[in-house]
Amino acid sequence: MSLEGFEVAVVGAGPAGSAAAFTLAREGVQVLLVERGTFPGSKNVFGGRIYSYALRRLLGDRWKDAPVERFVRKEGITFMTADSSFSVEYESKDPTGSFTSIRAKFDKWLAEQAEKAGASLITDSRVDDLVIEGGRVKGIIAGQDTIPTDAVIACDGTTTSLARKAGLATMLEPQEVSMGMKDVVELPADTIEDRLGLEPGEGAAHVFVGDCSGGLRGGGFLYTNKDSLALGMVVGADDTSTKAVPSHTLMDKLRNHRKVRRLIRDGKTIEYDAHMIPEAGPKMLTRPYTGGMLVAGDAAGHLLNNGYTFRGVDMAIVSGIAAAQTILEARKRKDYSTQSLQTYERKLREEPALKDMYTFSKVPRYLRNNRLYNVYPELVCNAAEAVYRVDGNGKRKIYKELRAQTKGKVSTISLIRDLLAGARTF
Amino acid sequence: MSAKQEEMSLDKRLALVSFSRDPEPFIVVDTKLCQECEKKPCLYICPAEVYSWQDQLTYNTEGCMETGACLIVCHKIGAKAISWKYPSGGKGVSFKLG
Repeated sequence: MSLEGFEVAVVGAGPAGSAAAFTLAREGVQVLLVERGTFPGSKNVFGGRIYSYALRRLLGDRWKDAPVERFVRKEGITFMTADSSFSVEYESKDPTGSFTSIRAKFDKWLAEQAEKAGASLITDSRVDDLVIEGGRVKGIIAGQDTIPTDAVIACDGTTTSLARKAGLATMLEPQEVSMGMKDVVELPADTIEDRLGLEPGEGAAHVFVGDCSGGLRGGGFLYTNKDSLALGMVVGADDTSTKAVPSHTLMDKLRNHRKVRRLIRDGKTIEYDAHMIPEAGPKMLTRPYTGGMLVAGDAAGHLLNNGYTFRGVDMAIVSGIAAAQTILEARKRKDYSTQSLQTYERKLREEPALKDMYTFSKVPRYLRNNRLYNVYPELVCNAAEAVYRVDGNGKRKIYKELRAQTKGKVSTISLIRDLLAGARTF
Repeated sequence: MSAKQEEMSLDKRLALVSFSRDPEPFIVVDTKLCQECEKKPCLYICPAEVYSWQDQLTYNTEGCMETGACLIVCHKIGAKAISWKYPSGGKGVSFKLG
């Protein structure tokens, strides 16, 4: 393939990159989509769920061709101590809002949609550097190849070397990233449905907080694929490092909890995956644009963990679309200067789906409160134990019991402060 | 019915992942600096235990899952000893079920 004549290079064929490449190619732009893996998705890992709206926005009705594992009918959360657990579950009337998927299938399929629209995909290619002339990005350098372009869209993930090379980012802080790990445990479809109380073909998403993270900032997750469970842990990079707890040992802690053990019984683990998650939000970059370049997806912090929903792929797709639209407008003006591309920032802030990142911008800081992981889950479980247990020794009223449970665990002031801050944050 | 509980270990996990070896070193550690490193955060953050300690730091990049987290913790908590980049195009880890 000749590497001349491309107007835009998109680096990284994940959801942001493929959405950007698709949007540009559809408008007749000559787009090169560059992927370092042997195929799109081969380097990518997530918990397991994609919110459908983003795909519908990108592809219209054709979103239904996506490689879906299961549509998510049930949402749940479990608070756990070492030997007890308290679960809440919600069963939605409409499961089509989100689905579980496998990145090796999904990302590959999405990149194919970009190719069908006219984008050129090259795989096995690591982009090492940017061509920068007169303070403006003018192309990419991949191995021996220098590829001149009018603009670059960097969708190169959490580690985003391109944003750093363009001077838009410094190295992230350990408290701004988490380590995500998961086991994929194979089980027959009907066993999965029986154990999680699902109708055939329907899926569940579940979060675990408490004992499984061993007091560290983090939690567990479970998503149902067709014939497997995606079971994983996310832990704060600073916490696991400074408290000297090897991150992967939390996987066994989660698996061995009675609540989880039952779900994966007789299952066979068929893959282990890991990935770093940026938790700082869009402020991980000084700005997501510079002359000749835009940044989208994880690389720009376009994802949102607000403690009960974990969004990455949908936000990546929407930010990829926004980046492509910015380029299309700049192309009309024949002006890719910093000033011309600053409309990207406004698009991000006005785009309803991405606005959530700003609405919940205080969440990352709130979630750094370790009481959420090593005090409150136990409090919930102990309170439930006290409420439900009848041992003939006399029972207190529920409010008094709750008050008694907090004694020695958390001061009233801290509790009230956390509750009020929570109310303001979420 | 006796429930079969699968015993997992990191070695077992890593055996489930496909790797293609990159002849070019993509992680280089100045291990002299590690002697002075108090916290040694790389030993704990890495989900594949690429780094280990026996009187000195040793590392085996072949199980590297390319999260890039070691670089951050080394430079912000540790001794700034790790140089890290992604493996060459097409090399390194390949996930099938991520």
